[in-house]
Amino acid sequence: MEILQYFMKQWDRILEYTLNHAYLILIGILCSLVLWISVGIAVRNNSKSAGTILGVGSFLMSVPSISLYGILMVIPGLGLSRTSAVIGLVLYSMLPIVRNVYMALNGIDPSILEAARGMGMKPRYVLWKVQLPMALPIIFAGIRVALVMMVGTATLAVYIGEQNLGRLLTYGIERSRSDMIITGAIMVSLIAVLVDYLMEYLQRKLVSPGIMDYDKKPASGEVEYDGI
Amino acid sequence: MAFDWSRVLEVLRTSKATLDVKALLAQHLKLVGISLAAAVLIALPVGIMLTRPRFKRYLPKVMGVLNISQGIPSLAVVAIFLPLAGIGTFPSIMALTLYALLPIARNAIAGIDAIDASIIESARGMGMPALKVFWQIELPLALPVIISGIQTAAVVTVGTATIADLIGGGGLGRLIFTGLSFFEPELIFLGSALAAVIAIALDQLLGLVGKLLTTPRGE
Repeated sequence: MEILQYFMKQWDRILEYTLNHAYLILIGILCSLVLWISVGIAVRNNSKSAGTILGVGSFLMSVPSISLYGILMVIPGLGLSRTSAVIGLVLYSMLPIVRNVYMALNGIDPSILEAARGMGMKPRYVLWKVQLPMALPIIFAGIRVALVMMVGTATLAVYIGEQNLGRLLTYGIERSRSDMIITGAIMVSLIAVLVDYLMEYLQRKLVSPGIMDYDKKPASGEVEYDGI
Repeated sequence: MAFDWSRVLEVLRTSKATLDVKALLAQHLKLVGISLAAAVLIALPVGIMLTRPRFKRYLPKVMGVLNISQGIPSLAVVAIFLPLAGIGTFPSIMALTLYALLPIARNAIAGIDAIDASIIESARGMGMPALKVFWQIELPLALPVIISGIQTAAVVTVGTATIADLIGGGGLGRLIFTGLSFFEPELIFLGSALAAVIAIALDQLLGLVGKLLTTPRGE
């Protein structure tokens, strides 16, 4: 009840934090998508550079998020800013997105590609009309992993000057206010679940129905999880 | 904001009562070690038990919960333990252990569940008792996935342990949060960099252990 009271009394502030949280994630995921999908496509036929890039990605993944923000904070020119917060999120989403794009593009049955080429498709058409649509379910799985992680990591961006739901958690700890902490935790988890559902919906809309039938179910993407 | 490298070295060398880097490092390693060991001891048996035929029908539900729980931020888990358990080392260890349980249990279940059923069937067909099937077939085959779960948990725990300073856990988080309060970027950098080094070293070490324990597969 305490929590409900707190929520009613402070709903405008909670709304502001929630919108800020969502906004940061939106910018983060848009930058990541543009950057990392292009990287994934660029290295698709080059296993050597793909290995290097995936190595860098898993190295970044093993840097704790608060450490990454701490290091970004002292880089001159970045400091305490939204840019640093976005850069942190983008760096963390490198591994799940690049890896899934690369593996999905390379996991397509070669006979399908041969058939496409045999019909006279240029390489560019093979990529856009055959490879990418077929790789979409796995690419989506990577994006979902990245997004769910981003929702959690974004709470730590409060130390770099963001005003998002992480504020409820840090203020709550400073003032020993369990109502603030619990409200913050519930809101963050809610966003994570909502974002995941939204992606599932998008996936169902965007992925060609032919591929969905092929596997009997939408590829929920059993992709190894690599931590926050 | 001026960043002074000599200040980093100065903090490293001098040991004040509150910011003794060596003591904080030791405290950090202690937090990570105890929580990780406890998490492995709890999560592995529970995860393995859930893959046994008796509990297998609950598996999809358990995996669903574990998947969603990835979205819970470390800051929230640490924060929740403040009203529940108070301040100090013990509440920090409890929070860290709870948070490390999830990836370990998840990977243990996923690793064992992914084994081709025909392999297990052929082992049974050769007359292997269930216990032997588990120790000689299932566990070795699932080991790489299990180890990678422990790697994930280790990295997450090193990072979360810095945050645990907010509820009195101590460790390298003390450097980061002191730096944030007094705005000394050198302290923030030192704490962050040390935590990153520990995380990466632990990750590589566990990867090596995994490689040594795994039976090589000829391909």
